[in-house]
Amino acid sequence: MATDIIIPADLWEEDEDAVITSWLVNDGAVVEAGALIAEIMTAKVQYEIHAPAAGVVKIKEGADAVVPKGAIIGIVE
Amino acid sequence: MTCLEVASAAEGIAREESLFSASRPAAFLWRAQQCSIVVPRARATRPGFDKVARRAAQAGWPILMRSTGGGAVPQGPGTLNLAIVAAMPAGAHIQDGYDLICGAISEALRRFDVMTDTGAVDAAFCDGDWNLVAGGLKLAGTAQRWRPIDRGASIALVHAAILSDPPPRSAWPVLRTVETLAGAITPPRRDVHVSLTDLLSDAVNPANLHGALLRAAKDRLQRITQLSPAAAPTHRSGNRHSRAVASA
Repeated sequence: MATDIIIPADLWEEDEDAVITSWLVNDGAVVEAGALIAEIMTAKVQYEIHAPAAGVVKIKEGADAVVPKGAIIGIVE
Repeated sequence: MTCLEVASAAEGIAREESLFSASRPAAFLWRAQQCSIVVPRARATRPGFDKVARRAAQAGWPILMRSTGGGAVPQGPGTLNLAIVAAMPAGAHIQDGYDLICGAISEALRRFDVMTDTGAVDAAFCDGDWNLVAGGLKLAGTAQRWRPIDRGASIALVHAAILSDPPPRSAWPVLRTVETLAGAITPPRRDVHVSLTDLLSDAVNPANLHGALLRAAKDRLQRITQLSPAAAPTHRSGNRHSRAVASA
């Protein structure tokens, strides 16, 4: 079963997008639930993205991609 | 001691990140004796970074990394850093972190008759909507790092770099080069900044200002900490939500 890796929808009030500053794991990496896997930045805030489940990470949006609140940037399956 | 004096900004950053990793609410001031330019860690992956870093080091401004967002910031004896690690309750927004630190600094400076507000300043280094601004000039920059905990709560590292003295002239070419590499449209300019030296009376004792900054930060941090069960306790009492705010 795939679990979406989602940019939080309620972390900031404005409609500004975020930038994926880095993926800390490679596409296809096996991760534990809760592992730090990526960082995004908006309004000079680095926000940590943690694995929502254990499994294999499939990256949908790469580093430097600009993504809106609530975007799905990958899955863990 | 109200301000932690460290040799290199790397030591101050390491102290901040240690408290953040431990989810330990804290507020502290630090200042580095050695000059450096500090950038977000992700900058190191950009093409051409190594070359720029070598040139910066040769110019006397080695580049160091930090975990918060934003752009390039000069560190050294003229930069006073206020760091707050806060447990943010569920539903908190990143603006709440900026309100916390900007409100604390503004409140402290008002005691010394310095009025500030927040906003972007065109051509400021590490520009953003949550600069502390005095008379239209940038006095301090702010940035954050957030880590989700559970049930919507987060731990935030909120940081402000306050210009206590104007950065040396030698910093500006390096700042411009680093920001140009990162794609900045408007390179930073010296004349859109102001420092505490420009704003405070000569009679102000720096220790009194440092004390006021810490008191304002800790008062606000204590209020937020009481709202959130997310942080690791630093002081046990009969009330499991009663937590002391640490001095680092």
